[in-house]
Amino acid sequence: MTDTPDLEALRREVRAFLAAEAPTGWRDASRTQDDFVRTQRDWFTRLVSAGYAIPHWPAAFPGGGRSLAEQKVIYEELAKADCPRLLLSFVSTYHAFATLHECATREQQDRYLPRILEGETWCQGFSEPGAGSDLAAIKTRAERKGDVYVVNGQKVWSTMAQFADKCLLLVRTSSDGPKQAGITYLLMDMKAPGVSVRPIHQIQGDEEFAEIFLDNVEIPVSERVGEEGKGWAVAQATLASERGLTLMELSYRMRGALARVASLIREHGHEDDRGVLRDFGELVTQVDAVCAVADQFLDNRIKGIERIGDASIIKNSYSRALRAYAKLGLRLGGIAEQYVAPITFGDLNTGNWMADFMNSYAWTIAGGSEEVQRNIIAERMLDMPREPKAWVA
Amino acid sequence: MIELNELTDAAQKAFPADALSPGRDESWRLVAEMGWLMVRLPEEDGGLGLDREASAAIHFEMGRVLATTPLIPAQLGLQAVLASEIAARVEWLERLAGGEYAPLHLLPAKLEAAPNGTLSGVVGGVFDADMAMAVVAKLPSGYALVPTDAPGVSIVERAIWDPSRRLFDIVLDGYAPDPALMLTDADGAAALHDALAPEAHLAVAADCLGAANAALELTIEYMKMRRQFDRPIAMFQALKHRAADMKARIAVAEALLWNRVRDDAATLVQCGAAKTLAAEAFAFVTEEAIQLHGGIGLTEEHPIHRFMKRAMLNLQLCGSPDLWNERTGREALG
Repeated sequence: MTDTPDLEALRREVRAFLAAEAPTGWRDASRTQDDFVRTQRDWFTRLVSAGYAIPHWPAAFPGGGRSLAEQKVIYEELAKADCPRLLLSFVSTYHAFATLHECATREQQDRYLPRILEGETWCQGFSEPGAGSDLAAIKTRAERKGDVYVVNGQKVWSTMAQFADKCLLLVRTSSDGPKQAGITYLLMDMKAPGVSVRPIHQIQGDEEFAEIFLDNVEIPVSERVGEEGKGWAVAQATLASERGLTLMELSYRMRGALARVASLIREHGHEDDRGVLRDFGELVTQVDAVCAVADQFLDNRIKGIERIGDASIIKNSYSRALRAYAKLGLRLGGIAEQYVAPITFGDLNTGNWMADFMNSYAWTIAGGSEEVQRNIIAERMLDMPREPKAWVA
Repeated sequence: MIELNELTDAAQKAFPADALSPGRDESWRLVAEMGWLMVRLPEEDGGLGLDREASAAIHFEMGRVLATTPLIPAQLGLQAVLASEIAARVEWLERLAGGEYAPLHLLPAKLEAAPNGTLSGVVGGVFDADMAMAVVAKLPSGYALVPTDAPGVSIVERAIWDPSRRLFDIVLDGYAPDPALMLTDADGAAALHDALAPEAHLAVAADCLGAANAALELTIEYMKMRRQFDRPIAMFQALKHRAADMKARIAVAEALLWNRVRDDAATLVQCGAAKTLAAEAFAFVTEEAIQLHGGIGLTEEHPIHRFMKRAMLNLQLCGSPDLWNERTGREALG
């Protein structure tokens, strides 16, 4: 879609801001987890004051009230300027915001939303060791005792929970009836007694996720979102909070990072190797197509058109292109890539090809695995029958 | 201004999905009546003056029914005449818009010029030359209309695997080009090629994706109907996942196609890349489609093989995937 005059003006405004303020050298300043967190907090604060951190929030908040088309412009420019992605505040500004905005009481909203802009961060306590793709199978128990719920259980794959102040927590308050019916949604203070967090050491040396252990944690009933037993519906609001901007942004970033593969080709003197050029060309087209499909999806949403399954196609296409990108770099880099080199926290296209390759699995597994997305495409877009539910061991 | 969905609706009415590869001559009359030969002819030249998107939408529908009518080479031939300054330009445009056929060839020409200027050799990749009055061919001295009934010109049908189309060589044997029918000179040939090639790529890409969608639909339909182990095979996750991948490959290639169709600044290489992705997606979908049909997919009686054969031919039209991937890589290297 071409920009309207308003969008063009916004684009110029964002570009001018980024020309002056876009962080440079942030990759070198994100070699340790602590430095990464500092870089993230700093950039978030600057984006909040510039009015670009929360374009999807209501107009009552500074920088809010932006249309999806305007949000798209902002994210396109952030990606093109190669700014750090806002990872540490992502759950707060998207998942926590959407949950609070759509499902919480006025008191809860007034208490928490302003604090997010001051830097309070949230994590998501959804997945459990026995509830990944089958999320409704969660077992973490909450028992009501007077004015509090007493919670026991374990959560896993919680993004950056080790730095979070608050948690969006799904618990089981009943085991009767369908498994979705016994789920309740709570807002938990990560500093409450009984909460312990253990970062998960990932295969590439990052610690993007953590486990959360809950041992008789008391959560006031006033921190419940929605009715008891109605948490599944609230969780849908959380999960639907991201409206396609992330994958568009990531696709644009990958397109920008094709320059890394190009440098590698030149470094190794492959400029006239037709096999290498073909593989590179194929990747370039694959990445361009992912950008086009992510773009089309957002343009359709702006127009109010959306088909079930579109988001699954984009996620699978992006994550496959990301894997192909890392694999080509890994192949061209040769043995040099097998020597351990420093990683960059919070970036998917770093040029540390072994790390990028390993990191790419986060996108084929997290957020609904590639296989679950295929089920959605097959069953909900192509209308193929579901497998029978009953299974007897 | 004709709306895109009106065009699509009209195409689907004229070429219903349940009649694959309808007869060529009848289809040609229909295509001419609907004005599709002059879709890209400007209004001031008596055409419909529609954009690349409208044209691609038609080729998409033609692919869907494995059309036998050579609309793509006909449109390109007309555009070559349109871009020229030959004396009989207006007359030629009228004839071509009205249903006479002068296709552009879609595979290379291999010609040698004798000292007296006559040409011998082969102009490859001419669709349906049996109904052509002339062929727009790239001669050593530039693009020219070569009348099929001129002395030294013969047409030779080359049997191809794809049953939905007919391909010919134009064999020249001491043919003396008519100066009045030269559309460009040698220098202008490259410019005309670069102007027509994006159109050709986008048209073939649209044909691929229309056909790929139809092949996927047939396959899904079959998988829902075919029962083994007391259930439709569409219920098995291993097979569903393959269908999902087919759908995803098509959707992504479609997004790139429409992106480039609407982008007037898209380069030749970018259009070639879109065609490559579309043709590869089409080939992938049809390869999988035959496997998922099982034994019936190997019979001539079932139509699914026809999609695979069209896909394999489309892969080679306007340059192979290897060629365009290499050029894309070289361009991105800067």
